[in-house]
Amino acid sequence: MTRKKVKLAFIMNDSARKATFKKRKKGLMKKVNELSTLCGIDACAIIYSPYEAQPEVWPNNIGVQRVLAQFKRMPEMEQSKKMVNQESFIKQRITKANEQLKKQIKENREKEMTEVMYQCLTGKGSIANLMLPDLNELGGLVDQTIKDICRRIESLKKAGPGKGVVTPPLPQPPRPQAGAVGGNCSNGNSSNASNEMVARNVVDNVNFVGGMQRTQWSFTDWMNNPCDQQNMGLGPGYEMVPFVDQNHPNPIWPNHFFP
Amino acid sequence: MAKKPSLGRQKIKIAKIQIKNHLQVTFSKRRSGLFKKASELCTLCGVEIAIVVFSPAGKVFSFGHPKVESVIDRFLARNPNLNSTSGLHLVEAHRIASIPDLNMQLTYMLNELEAEKKRSETLDEMRKAGQSQFWWEAPIENLNLHELEQLKDSMEGLKRSVSIQANRLFAENSNAMSFFGTNNSTNGVDHYDIKPVAPMITSTSSSAAASHVHSYGYGHGLF
Repeated sequence: MTRKKVKLAFIMNDSARKATFKKRKKGLMKKVNELSTLCGIDACAIIYSPYEAQPEVWPNNIGVQRVLAQFKRMPEMEQSKKMVNQESFIKQRITKANEQLKKQIKENREKEMTEVMYQCLTGKGSIANLMLPDLNELGGLVDQTIKDICRRIESLKKAGPGKGVVTPPLPQPPRPQAGAVGGNCSNGNSSNASNEMVARNVVDNVNFVGGMQRTQWSFTDWMNNPCDQQNMGLGPGYEMVPFVDQNHPNPIWPNHFFP
Repeated sequence: MAKKPSLGRQKIKIAKIQIKNHLQVTFSKRRSGLFKKASELCTLCGVEIAIVVFSPAGKVFSFGHPKVESVIDRFLARNPNLNSTSGLHLVEAHRIASIPDLNMQLTYMLNELEAEKKRSETLDEMRKAGQSQFWWEAPIENLNLHELEQLKDSMEGLKRSVSIQANRLFAENSNAMSFFGTNNSTNGVDHYDIKPVAPMITSTSSSAAASHVHSYGYGHGLF
């Protein structure tokens, strides 16, 4: 039984074509039979081939004639409403495939944008490479994500005030650093360490501490890059996010474009 | 968002299906598959076929090559030499001539679809890997309050950067445009990028911006 993909074109080789015909004709008849039995409906099939003068039919000559008579009794419009030939049928398939393709492409684009977002978040990817349309889309995704996060924060706060409030500062997602060798190096080393991180579990204070240990590399990274300018007075260890350039301690805007 | 996995291929008994809903779904799928197989048989082996199927609701579906009626007539007349009126042959011939092309088109589409599905799987794997490696890439539901706050801050920082870069790009494009004139698109600047109004992402507005941003669809102008 071949599981190779068959090219959708007339088989030029005579013997191959005949062999394929025999097999597929048999399979087709089986399928009609199953359809009729499973769904309790009337059906018939007629196949003319160059190999035989008489057509091959299902269920049998009488059965076919009965179904055809039933068919012809129907009003003309009903007959032709769901009637297709090769051309129209293939066109239908093309249209359907097209729609599925567009949908899949859109879905892939969203997934891809998510990857880009996470990469830009940690500086592995650079925003500088993106064109406007992509940038807009990325912005939209980030916006949506922020919304989702806020919603989740709200629901957690409602659920129970004791739950999520923890004191130890959480290691931050590493922020992209421009220029500074130190920053890049630690990023480089840490990614190896981070690969060993175990998958996290859910909301738990205990997890918190465990989480810190697991993500020790980024904690170190964070420790290595004091960003006082960004500290909004929320207390030691709690920092705002961006993206401080070592060379410009007072950035006009966050600079995280690095080659 | 994980899709609920289907039951997959299961062996079933060939007897009338008892549950009406299942029966209807089965009919729909199998009829479609049957026509597909018939179509392939025609293409591969160049044979004439007619299939007539009545639905559980009493509607009739039919597939035929070259035409349902001509095959039926041929069968009923029981004379293989008897063809439909010769005047129609030319029209038929034209129609039939387009089939190989259509098949090629279909094959192309199906290949593209398969490629995109593979890409989708790759992206899913990337997401899974990311989720297990970095806490901030885990699904939002898995994060605790503190982590959420941190992530939110990071995201807002990213949003600011994106908006700044977007404004910067837009300004560059505008400058280029005013220098070369609006009709000139040969300076490498894509009109598509310039045309839309200034990028709406700003650090100040959040919810208002989101709805605007999405209107600049990055259309895959494929079809």
